[in-house]
Amino acid sequence: MAGSKIILFVEDDKPIAEMYSRVLEREGYHVEFAYNGAEGLRKANAKHYDLILLDIMMPEKTGIEVLNELRGTDGSGNPDTKIVILTNLAQDKTSQEALKAQADGYIIKADIVPSQLASIIAKLL
Amino acid sequence: MKSELFRRQTLALFFIVSIIPALIVGAVWYAFTTTNTLNFLLLDFNSFMLPVMMLGIIPAIILSFIFAEILARPVREIHRAIHRLAVGDFSRQFNIKGSGEFAEINVALEQVARKLEETLSQASSETDLIKAERGKLHSVLNSMSDGVFALDRSGRIVLFNKAACEITGRTITEVAGQLAEKVMPFRSNGELIMTRWLALGSGAEHKVGQWKGLELYRADGHSLTVNVEAVVLKDDPNGIAALVTFHDLTKSNQLEEMKIDFVALAAHELRTPLTEIKGYLDILHTEAKGLTKTQQKFLGQAMTSASQLGDLMHNLLNVARIEHGEISYQSEVIDYRSFLMDSAENIKERGTQQDRIITITLPKQPLLILADESALKEVIDNLVSNAITHTQPGTGRIDITVTARRTSIETAITDNGSGIPNHALPHLFTRFYRVDELKSATRGTGLGLYICKSIMEAHGGSISVESVEGEGSTFTFILPLHTVATNVVKDDNKRTITRGAHGWIKNNPVR
Repeated sequence: MAGSKIILFVEDDKPIAEMYSRVLEREGYHVEFAYNGAEGLRKANAKHYDLILLDIMMPEKTGIEVLNELRGTDGSGNPDTKIVILTNLAQDKTSQEALKAQADGYIIKADIVPSQLASIIAKLL
Repeated sequence: MKSELFRRQTLALFFIVSIIPALIVGAVWYAFTTTNTLNFLLLDFNSFMLPVMMLGIIPAIILSFIFAEILARPVREIHRAIHRLAVGDFSRQFNIKGSGEFAEINVALEQVARKLEETLSQASSETDLIKAERGKLHSVLNSMSDGVFALDRSGRIVLFNKAACEITGRTITEVAGQLAEKVMPFRSNGELIMTRWLALGSGAEHKVGQWKGLELYRADGHSLTVNVEAVVLKDDPNGIAALVTFHDLTKSNQLEEMKIDFVALAAHELRTPLTEIKGYLDILHTEAKGLTKTQQKFLGQAMTSASQLGDLMHNLLNVARIEHGEISYQSEVIDYRSFLMDSAENIKERGTQQDRIITITLPKQPLLILADESALKEVIDNLVSNAITHTQPGTGRIDITVTARRTSIETAITDNGSGIPNHALPHLFTRFYRVDELKSATRGTGLGLYICKSIMEAHGGSISVESVEGEGSTFTFILPLHTVATNVVKDDNKRTITRGAHGWIKNNPVR
C-alpha cells in the first residue's frame, strides 16, 4: 500500500536526504528530491505528492516560506498533500509558525531515527 | 535722665548764643548814653551802631555753626552707621560720639548690627546647605541610568533627568512645563496607561504603580520598551504630584534576543551531525547482517551513547530556554491515564533495550489534568533515564505507580538502584548539581531534575525524592486534578509528541 504513495523530500543536506530516503524507499515509498526551497516549490506545484517533507533552513526559500505558499493565505491550499516539517530548528517560535501555516507535523531530526520517521509517516498517510 | 541732661545743655547753648550779642549791644548803648547827647546818638546811629551790632551777630553766627556741628556730627555718624548696616557691614564699631541719646543710639545700633549679623550668617549657612543638597540631588538624578521625571499637580513636567533625556532623545527645554501625557505617553497595546492611573490617584494617599513592557516613542519616532514605576505623592510641600522612573529594556531585550537566536542556531548546528550519527547507526543496526555478538554490542553501545548525547543537548538547551523564560507550555485538559497508557509501550521498550524491567501501574478511572503533554513526557523520560542509569542491567527494576488522590494525582517512580546519599538529597533539584561529581561513574549534566522541577512548578505541581543509599530511590511528582470534569471536546489540532519537547504531529488532520 505504501508503494503507491509519493513523497517529495525538500532538503539541502544530501547525506541526510539519502539517509531518510533509504529507509523510506525500503518501506516502499517513492521518494523524489528537491535540494532547495525554490526547487521544492516548483516540483510541488508541478505534480501531486501525498507527502512533502520540508527542511527549514535552505537556500533561496525557507521551508516555512514554501509551506506558506503551498497552503496559501487561508491555509487551504493542496488539501490532499500532507506537509511535514523535518528540521533541527527547535524554537517554539518556528514550530508555532508551522502550526499556523497548516503544517501536518513538525519533527526535530535529531530526536528521531529514520525507522521512527517511517512509522510516523505510515500513521499519517 | 540722660535726655534731661541733653535738654539742659541745649538750652544753655541757646542762652549763650542769644545773650552775648544782647550784652554787647547793651554795654555799648550804656557807654554812649552816659557820655554824649541823644542827638549825637541819633545822628551817628547808622555810622556807629551798625558796626557794633554786626560785631554781636558775627560771634552768634560762628557759635551757631559750632552748635550745628556739635548737633550734626552724631546724626551724620548715625547715618553712616545705618548705611554701613545697609550694605552688610556689621563688623566695625560705629563710634557715634556724644553722650546721652547718642550713646544710647550707638549701643542700640551695635545690638541691631550684632543681631543682623547673627541672623544673616545663619541664613547664609542654610542657603549653602540647601545649595549643597540641591547639588547632590542633581548629581544623583543625573548619574542614574534610569529615566526620572516629576510632575506637578496639573500633570506638567517639572523635573527631567539626564537619563530621561538620553532615553527619549528629548531636551529639558522641550519637555519642561509640558503635559506628561503629551511628551511621555506610556502605552500598553496602544492604550495610554499612566494618565488614567495618575488621575485616579489625585487627591488620594501615596500610591505606587509598576508596569512592565510599556511602549514609549523616542523623539525620533523609534519605539522603546520600558518598565515604569510611578509614585503619587500626597500633599508634597514642593508641589510635586508624582514621580516617575522608567527603565529602558530595548537594549537588553535586543541582546537577549540575539542570545536566544545564537543558542538556537548553535543547537541547530549541533543537532545536524547528531542526526546523521543516530540515523546511520539505526540503518546499520537494521541492515547489517552477520555481525558477531560483540560487534552487535559495540553497535548497541554507540547507539546508546548517541542517544545520551541527544538527551544531554536537549537538557542543556531546555535549561537555556527555561532561564530565558522562552518555554511556553501549551496546557490543555488531558486524561493522564490514557496519556500514560499511550506512552507505556515506549517506556517499557526502553527498559527492555537496556536490560531493565519497567512496570507501570495505573488506576482504573480516567484522570483529567490540565497539562502540556510534551512537558510531562519530558519529566517521565528524565526520571526513567535516571532510574536506568542508577540500576544494574539484569537486576534493575523500575516501578511506575500512579495513585489518584482526592484533588491530585501522585506518580511514583521507584528503582532498586544505588540510591542517593542523605547529604545530597536537599540539593538534588538544583541546577547543575551532581552527586559526588568526581567519584561518580554515571554521566549527566545535573540538569534533568532541575528541568523536572521547573516543569512541575509550571503545572502547579511538585516533585520530591526519598532514597536509601544502596537500596534505591523513589521520585514522586504530584499534579493537581483538573476540577471542571465536564465533557472535554478534543481539539482537532491537538498535537501528539513524537519525542522531545518541540516536535509534533497532528492527530486527526482536519483536511
